[in-house]
Amino acid sequence: MSKLKDQINAITPLMKVCFDFVKNEYNSLSSSMKKTLLFLFIMSAGFALFALQIFIFGLGYTGLSNYVAWGVWIGGDLSLIVLGGGAFFTSFMLYILRRDEFQPIINSAILIGLLCYAFTFIFLGLDVGQPLRFWFAYLYPNWGEHLMPQSMLTEVVFCITFYFMVLVGEFTPIILGQKLLDRFPVIHQIGHYIHKLMWIGAAVGTFLSFFHQGSLGGTYGVLFAKPGWFRPHLFFLFIVSALAAGTSFTILITWLAGKVKKKDVVPFKTYVSLARVSGFMFLIYFIFRIYDIYLMITKYVPAFDRNFWDLWGGTYGLWMLVLELIACFIPVILLNIKAFREKEKTLIIGVGSAVFGMMMNRFAATLHGFTVPNFPWKAFTPYGPTIQEIVTTLGIFSSMALIYIFCAKYLPIFPHLDKQEH
Amino acid sequence: MITRRWGMVIDLDKCTGCGTCEVSCMQENNMPIFQDDSDDPKRVKLLNLMKITNDREKSLQYGDVKVAYIPKMCQQCDNPSCVAVCPANATDIGDDGVVSQIWSRCFGCRYCIGSCPYEARVFNWWKPRYEGTFKESLNPDVSISSRGTVVKCTFCSHIWKRERDKAVAKGITDINAVSYTPACAASCPTNAIIFGDLSDPLSDVSRLSKDKRAFRLVHTVDNWGVSKKKNLIKKYPEPKVFYLSSEEWIRDMMRFK
Amino acid sequence: MAQLVLQELYHPERIDFPLKRVGKKGSSKFEAVSFDEVLKDIATKIDNLRKDGKANKIAAISASHTILSNMLLDRFLMSLGSLNSYVEPSIDTLTNAAVNLTQGINGSISYDFENSDFILSFGARLLEGWGETSTIHRAFANWKRRGVKLFQIDSLCTRTASIADKWIPIKPGTESIFALGIAYHLIKMGKRSKGVNFGDWSQVIINQYTPERVSTITGVASEVISNIAKEFASAKKPLAVSGKGAMGVSSSVAEIVAVQSLNSLMNNLGKKGGVFVKTCPGLGKPKLDSIASAAIQNVKPAKGVDDFIKNFENIEILFINGANPVHRSVYGKLLAKKMKKIPMVVSIMPLINDTANYSDYILPSLTCLEMTTVIGDEAVSTRNKSMHPGDIILKIAKGIEGVSNSFPWSSYKDVIKLASNVEIKPVIDFSFTTKLFKSHLTEVSKRINTTSSKYPLILLPYELSTVGDGNGLAFPYVLKGIDAKILTGDTLWVDMNPVTAKKHGVSEGSCIDIISEKGKIGCVKIHLTKTVATDVIAVPLGFGHTSYTKYGSCKGINPKEIMSDSIDPISGIADWWFTRIKIS
Repeated sequence: MSKLKDQINAITPLMKVCFDFVKNEYNSLSSSMKKTLLFLFIMSAGFALFALQIFIFGLGYTGLSNYVAWGVWIGGDLSLIVLGGGAFFTSFMLYILRRDEFQPIINSAILIGLLCYAFTFIFLGLDVGQPLRFWFAYLYPNWGEHLMPQSMLTEVVFCITFYFMVLVGEFTPIILGQKLLDRFPVIHQIGHYIHKLMWIGAAVGTFLSFFHQGSLGGTYGVLFAKPGWFRPHLFFLFIVSALAAGTSFTILITWLAGKVKKKDVVPFKTYVSLARVSGFMFLIYFIFRIYDIYLMITKYVPAFDRNFWDLWGGTYGLWMLVLELIACFIPVILLNIKAFREKEKTLIIGVGSAVFGMMMNRFAATLHGFTVPNFPWKAFTPYGPTIQEIVTTLGIFSSMALIYIFCAKYLPIFPHLDKQEH
Repeated sequence: MITRRWGMVIDLDKCTGCGTCEVSCMQENNMPIFQDDSDDPKRVKLLNLMKITNDREKSLQYGDVKVAYIPKMCQQCDNPSCVAVCPANATDIGDDGVVSQIWSRCFGCRYCIGSCPYEARVFNWWKPRYEGTFKESLNPDVSISSRGTVVKCTFCSHIWKRERDKAVAKGITDINAVSYTPACAASCPTNAIIFGDLSDPLSDVSRLSKDKRAFRLVHTVDNWGVSKKKNLIKKYPEPKVFYLSSEEWIRDMMRFK
Repeated sequence: MAQLVLQELYHPERIDFPLKRVGKKGSSKFEAVSFDEVLKDIATKIDNLRKDGKANKIAAISASHTILSNMLLDRFLMSLGSLNSYVEPSIDTLTNAAVNLTQGINGSISYDFENSDFILSFGARLLEGWGETSTIHRAFANWKRRGVKLFQIDSLCTRTASIADKWIPIKPGTESIFALGIAYHLIKMGKRSKGVNFGDWSQVIINQYTPERVSTITGVASEVISNIAKEFASAKKPLAVSGKGAMGVSSSVAEIVAVQSLNSLMNNLGKKGGVFVKTCPGLGKPKLDSIASAAIQNVKPAKGVDDFIKNFENIEILFINGANPVHRSVYGKLLAKKMKKIPMVVSIMPLINDTANYSDYILPSLTCLEMTTVIGDEAVSTRNKSMHPGDIILKIAKGIEGVSNSFPWSSYKDVIKLASNVEIKPVIDFSFTTKLFKSHLTEVSKRINTTSSKYPLILLPYELSTVGDGNGLAFPYVLKGIDAKILTGDTLWVDMNPVTAKKHGVSEGSCIDIISEKGKIGCVKIHLTKTVATDVIAVPLGFGHTSYTKYGSCKGINPKEIMSDSIDPISGIADWWFTRIKIS
């Protein structure tokens, strides 16, 4: 009994230190920041609560059904992955193509990528009926013949798992670079060496990313029995979309961080350089997408003896397609034309629209695709996400924001900022 | 070596929509019991007796409209897209053409549900329950699936297994000597549902699948001439459930006209 | 439906032992008691009633499917001194009244579907659960192959109507007029019947049922009517079938007789592919003791169950044998009220239904798999403390002096052979009842006229084949098959034509109440479909149980509460087919 008391007495001052630290940090924040954090925290708590309800009672509490088997969660999932594509692409350009102008933003890109992929796993854990059986996907994979994956999801699962490891590897030097840890010479050395090997991570990451970004496109594209989805080239369209939207998302989030911190976390010209890449990719994407729609209208949908325009209706109708195209066209203009790209306002509108447009694309692919009637006597199937789905999705985004904020404050995410301060 | 290819022919001219097939399938396959089972999009049943009508056709009025019923179960495609997409190999096509569904291997990603054009697969959104003495009515040959897994019609393969075991007990080891009838076909009061071996040229299913009244659900490639098929041919599901109808309006609907 | 037997056999709400009411009637509070206790109580009360000369205050209502126990109950009541044993209406009870009237024999109509080559159905939904479903389905399976033609006259687009070679969409409630309109043409074509009073009757038809008048009333073009008559007349084995509905049928006796007259005109009575009479002598009449004969003297029983429910007074004991008149009869609510005042109500059934809720005693009976029938022995041994209703009646009877002699059987199994002694007789005699039709046309056209009424719409019933007219709803596997646009949660959906919906400013999914002269039901949701005529609302039967296991209770509404309740003077059964309504 007294031993326990001693232990408590020993821990108590440490706990007090931690508690005081947290209190001081919190008090040092602006009131609007406090409110934001509180909101994000409540959303995250809501997410945890509803996730628990789903785990205990079942997916019956969602608006999903046997007709619309995937909804807001998978839409969110796909959005996270395409937006997290900035990590591998920026990495590729910096470490393989040696484009040093991206050095200031790379840490933020990696962090964004890490968060996106980590929370993709969480989305999946929530969405799947038997999350405890997740290891089936690794141990009983559907590889088909000659190691060509027969199931796109098998490919996706393996790829994003390996890529996540790569991201963790790429993020490690950032953790090790944290002021408290960096003091230790051993840690500093390790961090330094990992940094030298980053190009391997970048190469592997790019290789893996091409595959899983593409496979996610293939997830829908290979469904040869579904007129709303089938086209073999969707694999490649999704790769291009990741290159385009990922970079835009990186710009957007980093810029947001700068706005919150009220400092230049990254030199403006970095944004402009990345935006130039993103803009170019968006041009390719947009042309490809128009061609994709053209092929669907003339070749693929008629192969099912159906009419492309008849496939659009119900709640998730043509407006989604129109909105996506408009939102994806805006960055083609704003990010490619130098004058717009170099002005902060138009740059941010451009990347913001890009992110929105690509999310719209992913949500449309999921929500619209599932509601396409399979039989001629059926109407478009309705789907409305329940509060469980909405709160968990927003909660996941809130958690991501919270972690980003935490990392942005305590880890060397912005080397440019650190340089300024020295 | 198994040479069977199990298939079904459903004569819609004989289907009255009585619902016997649906109920006998539920009873045979231990479908879960809920006090409120009215949430159709989340319903767990393997055979769906679809009521179809052409009343959404703008030019038709009361007096011209028609009503029909289509019993729809897993179409047991020869080229199943669900088998291709399952990330855990929970479903596979057997040598006898029956597409199996092992719910205990399924981790509930529902990709197969998304890939199926026939809406033949259902997910256990809730935990399957059987109140009180209803448990005594459960079929001991069919296991109870768990919440969070996908289930579908397997052409009552447990009945095949039972017949196989019976044959083996009698000393008949030829696997192709086993024949059986799934619950729906056995219970249909007008014999509208016929089950048999498509690879046996003398069987009813074999003969009727080539009837001029025959068509397959949402499989319009059947109507294409050979030359058009040659140009655009890609994978098609090739279901093994054939429907017969002499009602022109049903055939028109099948062609999405 | 046969496939639901396991759901009934193993239903968790099956009554496990005899129950005695402890709360107020209708409060669903019961406690377990022993069979001996209950049967003794019943026997004692019966004895006392007989001694007081009130034997005819004992009544019974049996379900139409309880053939054997109904016979025993009839015999039992009669041997006690009561003629008040009734059966819930079925196609057989309706045709029984018609056959009695026109052919002077106690039997019901039996159609030779298997050998007919042209079937003209007047609203009989042959494929939706009408009549003997297994016989009809088997015959139907061969119709296409044999080239049999089916013409379906129906006010709704049902599957029977769609599968028929011709669907005649008729104005609701005018089926009898249509039949006599066909008779007009047949007579004009030279068809004659050898039936009694044919001359007088055919005069009425020629004078009144002219093509223009019939066309106006029925809404069917006169060429169509005359073409149908021609086809019917040129068929080798034509058959006219009556009895509107599926499991729940509703037709006036006049309508059935009208359709039968077509069969007589075509000379198919007693011929292959035609009309026969199904008789079952049953157990015969019991020998009455002095108390019974005295009680029966000068007592006129009601003509049918609805007549009885509406008019009975001071009933002392009511037996409910597997029936559910509180839900199924349009006088259900009245019956429930009256049952509260009956000193002893004894229900015999396996599951507690709406009617059993108002009982003093509920005795658990068997489901079909536990019964020995004419086909074979029981498949499963009796569960719980259930007893065959026949055995219950025999036990009570054995305990009553002066009555036990009429029951020389020790168990229901001894009665099976007698009870299944069905004969299909070719009866050619037919007598035309002219006075039935003299004012029929004006009566019908007045009744169905909605244009000047404050109830401008029409309520028409239809059935789901698994639910029937109510029995199916206790079973989860029935619930699992109900279409999404018929029941969602606890709300029932009704079908309405889009034109009518637009006229009344409602749309798909709108919530409405339906009001008739008798009352209001609601709320129900609207499903727009062109399978329903304009100004008609199709409402499914079988829902709206107040008590029928947790699976069947309080789902939807029961339209019978507001449907027409005019009682047919010949059959004593209410004709609820056609009801004028308005919506709000």
